[in-house]
Amino acid sequence: MINELLLQFARWLEVQEYSQMLLAGYYSYNWLEATHVLTLMVSIGSLFIIDFRMLGLILPNVSATAIADRLHKPMIIGFVIMFITGFLLVYAKPVETIQSLWFRIKMILLLMAFINAWIFNARMRAAEGSWDNDRIAPKNLRIGAIISLVLWCGVVTMGRYIPYDWVDCANTTNTAILWAAGCVDQLNAL
Amino acid sequence: MFSTLLGQYSRSFTVLLVAIVVVLLEVFGVRSAIYPGLLPYFEWIKYSSWIGIIGTTYGSIYATVEAAHLLSMATIGGLVLATDLRLLGVLLRDVPSETVTRGTHKAFSIALTVAILTGIFCAAGVGDKVYYMEVFWIKMLVLLTGACFMYFIKQPLLNSKPHSEINPWLIRLLAVTSILIWFTVAATGRWIGFS
Amino acid sequence: MTNEKKWGDKEIAAFGVAAVMFVALVSYWVSEVDSTVELLTLAYGSFKLFNNPLVF
Repeated sequence: MINELLLQFARWLEVQEYSQMLLAGYYSYNWLEATHVLTLMVSIGSLFIIDFRMLGLILPNVSATAIADRLHKPMIIGFVIMFITGFLLVYAKPVETIQSLWFRIKMILLLMAFINAWIFNARMRAAEGSWDNDRIAPKNLRIGAIISLVLWCGVVTMGRYIPYDWVDCANTTNTAILWAAGCVDQLNAL
Repeated sequence: MFSTLLGQYSRSFTVLLVAIVVVLLEVFGVRSAIYPGLLPYFEWIKYSSWIGIIGTTYGSIYATVEAAHLLSMATIGGLVLATDLRLLGVLLRDVPSETVTRGTHKAFSIALTVAILTGIFCAAGVGDKVYYMEVFWIKMLVLLTGACFMYFIKQPLLNSKPHSEINPWLIRLLAVTSILIWFTVAATGRWIGFS
Repeated sequence: MTNEKKWGDKEIAAFGVAAVMFVALVSYWVSEVDSTVELLTLAYGSFKLFNNPLVF
């Protein structure tokens, strides 16, 4: 049911004038993708520094909350750019992307990463002051940092898999994959 | 007199010497003479080396290494921005710039090593394609000169004395150039994937 | 602090290398923008970042 709705929505997006313009433009899609990928250096780059600091791997002599606070703004700016360009990338190729298994896993990992970031932030605020200048953060924050690193590595890896067609709807007959990727037409044809 | 001057300004003379050698090599056409002879190595690394064979045979391994390359570049980007924006007085203003410069350098070296190793794997899988791409050679040139800039020029100066004793405009120039270098390395890398 | 102390060997080398690299990289990106504008003008008849394929 949800797969049918998503596919209908994607097909509606696909025929939008601007969706086609983005895809057919000489460089527009490439520029969008390049901006999306290059902004990783701002968003995930800042996030990794915060996580590495929590684990005591970088700048151990600088207050951990100072690093987290000061890098919060560039990180958020980076993520906002990534969301805008990411949305436009989906808008340019809606059917292909919505029926990509990797895209779906990426979205789940993204959701998990944001829940983790929210919990991490709450824990950091609760523990503020007591550990700030310690070389490594308390155990629960270290676990949060490791989960964050693993989830974001997963998000980037899934993002990198999206252009590959190994398990595209047309390339697989595995029912579980077809269902997970939302390949409605292929499932109906079985 | 000259040897005293040479000893006192050895780094500057070395830079000048390297610049003269590069210009001479270019004037005498050494680069264009060497270029055709490099093709067999690029073909070998794609078709005969084990990294090339793994990269071309297993798409999933290739894509995973590409992701590792992206992650290491993202880490480099974060470290460069934190360090250079601090030098420019934009970020982390309450942390001494000496602390940030020293504290991020080891992580930068590790991330750069991972980026280079994964980059060799990625380039090996498309060796015969990148050989003909101007943007690939620009990336290699900027990467090589950028790494030399970081390790032999920028870091030695910034570690040699308190930053308050260095001309602030020189610090700004170093920071902006460093951001430009790593942006160019990343952007040209992305463009290799499109071409 | 004298000027002499501020501009030692490391400073001169750093200024020389950074200035050359800065100018080279800025020139590279300016030439890239220039050639891209030219290409897009040729492709679309006038400078546009992208065009409507249904109309073009």
